[in-house]
Amino acid sequence: MSARLRAWVEARVPMQALIDAMRHKTVPLHRYSLWYYFGGMTLFLFGIQVGTGALLLLYYRPSASEAYESVQFIMARVPFGWLVRSIHAWAANLMVGCALLHLVSVVFLQAYRPPREITWVSGVLLLTLTLAFGFSGYLLPWNELAFFATRVGTDLAEAVPAAGDFIVRFMRGGDDVTGATLTRMFGVHVAILPAITTVLVALHLLLVQAHGMSLPPSIERMAREQGRRVRSIPFLPHFVLRDLFAWTIVLALLAALSAFYPWQLGTKADPFAPAPAGIRPEWYFLWMFESLKYMPATIAGISGELVALIGFVLCGILVLLLPFLVGHREHARRRVRWVAMFVIAFVAVMTMIALRIPGEGQP
Amino acid sequence: MLSGIVVLCSVAAMSAQTSRQAAEDAVRSDVHGSSGITCADCHAGQRTETAPPRTDVARLCARCHSDPAYMRRFDPQVRVDQFAQYLTSVHGEQMRKGETRVATCSDCHGAHGITRVRDSRSPVAPANVAQTCARCHGDAKRMGAFGRNETPVADWSASVHATALLKRGDASAPTCSTCHGSHGARPPGVTEIANVCSQCHVREADLFRASPKKSIFESIGQAECLVCHGNHKIERPSDAWISIKGDAVCAVCHDEQVKGASTIIAVHQGLEGLSNAVASADRTLTRAERAGMLVEDGRFSLREARDHLIDARVTVHAFAEAPFTAVVSEGVAAAKRAEQTGDQALRELQYRRRGLTIALVVIVGFLAALWLKIRSLPTPD
Repeated sequence: MSARLRAWVEARVPMQALIDAMRHKTVPLHRYSLWYYFGGMTLFLFGIQVGTGALLLLYYRPSASEAYESVQFIMARVPFGWLVRSIHAWAANLMVGCALLHLVSVVFLQAYRPPREITWVSGVLLLTLTLAFGFSGYLLPWNELAFFATRVGTDLAEAVPAAGDFIVRFMRGGDDVTGATLTRMFGVHVAILPAITTVLVALHLLLVQAHGMSLPPSIERMAREQGRRVRSIPFLPHFVLRDLFAWTIVLALLAALSAFYPWQLGTKADPFAPAPAGIRPEWYFLWMFESLKYMPATIAGISGELVALIGFVLCGILVLLLPFLVGHREHARRRVRWVAMFVIAFVAVMTMIALRIPGEGQP
Repeated sequence: MLSGIVVLCSVAAMSAQTSRQAAEDAVRSDVHGSSGITCADCHAGQRTETAPPRTDVARLCARCHSDPAYMRRFDPQVRVDQFAQYLTSVHGEQMRKGETRVATCSDCHGAHGITRVRDSRSPVAPANVAQTCARCHGDAKRMGAFGRNETPVADWSASVHATALLKRGDASAPTCSTCHGSHGARPPGVTEIANVCSQCHVREADLFRASPKKSIFESIGQAECLVCHGNHKIERPSDAWISIKGDAVCAVCHDEQVKGASTIIAVHQGLEGLSNAVASADRTLTRAERAGMLVEDGRFSLREARDHLIDARVTVHAFAEAPFTAVVSEGVAAAKRAEQTGDQALRELQYRRRGLTIALVVIVGFLAALWLKIRSLPTPD
């Protein structure tokens, strides 16, 4: 019966060829293999975000007068609503963390080497989209901290010469953060970003499958010197089970965080109230927020904020084009590692300084 | 000698010139100057350097301010009874007798540079009234001459009314003129006190008037509200006032033997019980909130309980047990609902933690099984 059913399904949905290909496909096994799993974990968290986000959409109302109350309703009245919202909020943060670790591992393992330039570019764009998800989703509960943090965040764009005002108005849907901004952020968060992300995730996965896992140059060299092949494991079931193991750890972490540190809602935003003390963005934007504080008012007659903004944008472009700038030059890749170490140290120090100043904690 | 006289005359002339200039400058931008009133309108037939006699000031002002037809030109709704009221005031009565040390219009409003009462710079703007009155009523020597003490303004400054007006900026809070009147200022009599306080404390006054205390106080000549609350230095009332023991306000007249002791004890216990219930519910809700739980319904019930506590404190003025007990019972019920919501949230939190712990155990079990499966797979070459 089972064999007949399998044959019936196979005749209509031919999967055997794909399963066979996955059994034959291999993944390198070496001392850095652990880093291969962060991409999968990010993907798993994206899936969780899509699922929990869809559930939240059933009750969430994107207007200034109803947003806060609807989230309150989800957390207090909807069965397991508190869990869904808490998982959505925690998974968002873990997703950013996993994506950042994935990027760092790719830099240090030099996995961006040709022919994986487009895989890198799609990955950097996906990280940018993940940060945009975080920024646009932050305002949606319409609480005090998110409201003022969004006001400060969108204010930054004002430093852009000529187009600054337009960009700020475009992001806010008006002169200030209002219900129009909330509606705008909601649209971006649940429609525009997911659509672009889905296409880019598909492209990224396709390229990863096409090129296979990258071998770090040190492992390649060692195998060459020892005159043996690098050990590998079949994609199915070995790698898939290991991936499943990593995903289950993430799930356990999410369950523990949601149970013991439920994501709080804070107080409802009051646009007419003065900004409370301790306003700051999400942890992954803290280093930028802190860096801006140390910028002088003007540098060579140019606004310090604008110089910082140009610096951030230039850094972003350099990161995006990294494989094209480095090419096949090994010494350049080594330099990139040193620069990456400096950047990580800078970001970590700035984040820690910002965290030392008492804020309101999680929204 | 002659040169000395010349110098003195010159200095006097220069001084008069300077003060006239200052007065002209002040009037130019004040309420009179900006309405087209000139020096001659008040000082006609006089040397402008000379102030009108104090006994004539009120009458001089009344020439315009008591003329409805004239005043309507500047403000159709302006009052014109100030002079009539002034004549009924202690100030006006004394002034008519020729006592020039009492206040007249210019003492409170100023002579030149007069601003409207609603202007915060005016000496008679609500926040400045007490300071203006204190210029005379805070002067022990001046008030001693009239057989009065100088403490009222200092006492008022330590009252809940002063805190509300000066610290919280609540312009509706009473100052001197709110209770004594402004132009017709005089102390309210024993029978008028409740009418003064009831201008704001309407419900307390209604309850008091319907209570058995009113006729008792009237019969013994006690000044209603003042007996318990005092007059100028009105402090925030405390639940501890209602007791027949120690320094309690009720204990001044009542002890176990005096009629009403059982009511006082019941009211004291009722207030204590409701306050404790509110505090306990607040603690429980705060614990639940700190643990990340939403207890909006509980907060709503707690607000309701607090409203009943306020209502119960007001109902004390009925001096009867039945209406008070009804309010307290409702308050205690609301506080219990709040407490129950908090307890329920804390139980829910425990339930969630237990559930998630079980889920974690299952997940860890699955991880162990997965690990064993991975280990059992054939090792790569």
